[in-house]
Amino acid sequence: MPVISLQNLKKVYKLGDNTVNALRGVSLDIEEGEFVAITGPSGSGKSTMMHILGCLDRPTEGHYLLNGNDVSNLSRDELADIRNRQIGFVFQGFNLLPRTTAAENVEVPLLYSRPVLPASERRARALEALRAMGLTDRAFHHPSQLSGGQQQRVAIARALVNRPTLILADEPTGNLDTATSIEVMRLLQELREKQKITIVLITHEPDIAAYGTRIIAVRDGIIISDKPNVPRRVSDEPEALPLAAVG
Amino acid sequence: MHSPLHYLLLGLTALLRNRLQTALAMLGVTVGVGALVASLALGRGAQESIKDQLLAAGANMIVVTAGNYATQKTQGTEPAADHARFTPPVDPLQFIARLAAARRDLLARGYAAHNIDAALRAGAGLPVSAVASTGRLQRVHFEDDPMAEHDHPTAKERLGDSMAGLGAAATLTLDDAVAIREQIPGVQFAASGVHENARIAVDGDPTRQWFTRMHGTESRLPDIRRGWVFPFGEFLTERQVADAEQVMVLGRFAADKLFGAGANPVGKRVILWNQPFEVVGVVGSTSWAQQPAAGDDQFDALYIPVTTVHRLLNLSKLNTITVTTASAGDTTRIAGEITALLRQRHGIGEAMADDFTVRTQAQEMLGKGLSPELARIVGGNLATMEQLTIEQLSTSLQRANRTMLALLAGVATVSLLVGGIGVMNLLLLSVTQRTREVGLRMALGARRRDIARQFVSEAVVLCLVGGVLGAGFGVLAANGLEEFFQWSTAVSPLSAVLAIAVAAALGVLSGVYPASRAAQLDPIGALQHE
Ligand SMILES: Nc1ncnc2c1ncn2[C@@H]1O[C@H](COP(=O)(O)OP(=O)(O)O)[C@@H](O)[C@H]1O
Ligand SMILES: [Mg+2]
Repeated sequence: MPVISLQNLKKVYKLGDNTVNALRGVSLDIEEGEFVAITGPSGSGKSTMMHILGCLDRPTEGHYLLNGNDVSNLSRDELADIRNRQIGFVFQGFNLLPRTTAAENVEVPLLYSRPVLPASERRARALEALRAMGLTDRAFHHPSQLSGGQQQRVAIARALVNRPTLILADEPTGNLDTATSIEVMRLLQELREKQKITIVLITHEPDIAAYGTRIIAVRDGIIISDKPNVPRRVSDEPEALPLAAVG
Repeated sequence: MHSPLHYLLLGLTALLRNRLQTALAMLGVTVGVGALVASLALGRGAQESIKDQLLAAGANMIVVTAGNYATQKTQGTEPAADHARFTPPVDPLQFIARLAAARRDLLARGYAAHNIDAALRAGAGLPVSAVASTGRLQRVHFEDDPMAEHDHPTAKERLGDSMAGLGAAATLTLDDAVAIREQIPGVQFAASGVHENARIAVDGDPTRQWFTRMHGTESRLPDIRRGWVFPFGEFLTERQVADAEQVMVLGRFAADKLFGAGANPVGKRVILWNQPFEVVGVVGSTSWAQQPAAGDDQFDALYIPVTTVHRLLNLSKLNTITVTTASAGDTTRIAGEITALLRQRHGIGEAMADDFTVRTQAQEMLGKGLSPELARIVGGNLATMEQLTIEQLSTSLQRANRTMLALLAGVATVSLLVGGIGVMNLLLLSVTQRTREVGLRMALGARRRDIARQFVSEAVVLCLVGGVLGAGFGVLAANGLEEFFQWSTAVSPLSAVLAIAVAAALGVLSGVYPASRAAQLDPIGALQHE
């Protein structure tokens, strides 16, 4: 059973008299453990697709099966539950809460999971997720005290803390320099390989898409190509050597 | 649902973001809750004070007065001339006492002593034996009734104005008081009284004089006058009354006039009727509505044993018997029973009028026990004071009190409303500032109610902090009002709890709208919000 199954998905935005066909019939299956990179030029519908995949938005037409369940017509609160339990988000702008420690940021999804976890359990799981991201010594720093790479690792820890089956990353390296981008991609690759987490990544950079096991190109709201890929390895990178220092 | 602590911390964290706005919004709530607590304290104070005043001023009091003016009027014997009222039969002793009183009155009104005495002598006509038998008073040569010429208003109601069955008559006895006390169930106390105007002077310093009201009474009187305190000494003892000792309790006002404001006169000697009396106590008022003042009946006054009055003036009758009932609701019934008992004791036949007057104190209490404003409100509500029952009076007072409370509650409500609007405003600002945060939380799995709860808890925390501060300020304000304006206040622990509950409710109310705005945000739009 595919983790994600899109069936003729369409999304129409209505702006007054204008209608924008952001997605014009997308069908797609993504199996567990795939690392899918979706590429395409600006305005091609990548984000729209991501929002639907992330259960943040509903398709105008078509069906979306997540882990076999049709989520196309669920209520807002039902979608919130699915996001909470099954999906981890990594955003371009990190989206960490300011004036809040890394650990507290990582705990946020746990605040909304049911049954309610006791505070001690939440803290333990947040620290564990941070440890997995190599941030144990930064757990009680505020985002403003962390580098961009560290902030994005906190965001990844947050995406992982509730043990989702799917990670959605919309331009996760958009705000990072090359070296740090590579570090983040290495982490995502590791997650896929070690924990069999399915990853869908949006990027307009071919360099970043190259880390995926499959690359899908979209344009004008439809898929124009869908190919398996031999993922690029971090060790292939000439910049790989000083990485540890970049952190 | 997480623990309240979780939401508390969440709220506090958010509030620290907009410190100034938070402080201002909180100030609004503080003022509102403060006003609420203060007005509750005032309302309760008024309530308790009304109850106190009702009892202190005699809501449960019945005064039996010798004589019956009503009879006189209904019988159509309007006194055509004053002297008609003093025609025989006259008890010579009472006549003497009456003359003595008249002399004191005239003295007090500024007539020179020798003129008065001359006028009295010119009237002559009193049996010498009567004069001789008045004991210590025989030094005074009163031979006439000055009332024929001087129409002193208080003199008309005085001891010795005797006409059996008509007008004022000395018909009450100490035994009547004992009978009332012992035979009528529901009677709490019954105190005998003889009342007079009297000139007193500090022993050894005749320049320090004061003209005041003399009450011959019993040791039980403080039980009846519930609003009394004794800043110095104590009231007459049972022993002093039994032995007819020459001891005196001064009203606070009279004491201040004789010995200087605030001075302790206990142990000093005061001259009354040329006799030395030892001062054993000073009586003051606990009531803010009943401060000692010139001419009042309780504190511009002196109290000596009724037995001493009887001994010195050689009398056996009383002007009044003051009765209190155990319950204020009982006064009407007991007044009826007193009437029946006294009629029987005085041998008054079916068709004959009472030779005494039984009055409940409803009317008097208005003048004595209550703040003028309150008395006016009550007075405005009542057409015929005379027929007033205690029950009606209390109802009326409660109504007046409720009016006051409603006013105060109105003030508190308006302040709370303003505070609530401030909180709502702050929260709307907060929601706008944190739109991205809301979007993020939604993306991470927050349901609408989670978001709403977060903002409501922020409002509740704000209001609770404001409420606790406000409750504190309210208590301070109530104390201040009591201290500086002598308003009666009573802070109850319950009102603090209530105030904090109101603050929490205000938080919920003012948080609901901003919270629902936050909860309705579209997650994608909110996430992309700059
Ligand atoms: N909320 C929206 N309302 C109207 N049009 C939108 C909205 N979101 C996206 N679009 C339009 O849909 C198309 C696809 O946008 P998007 O999915 O953001 O593309 P990408 O992420 O690939 O740049 C664009 O033409 C964009 O203008
Ligand atoms: Mg986009």
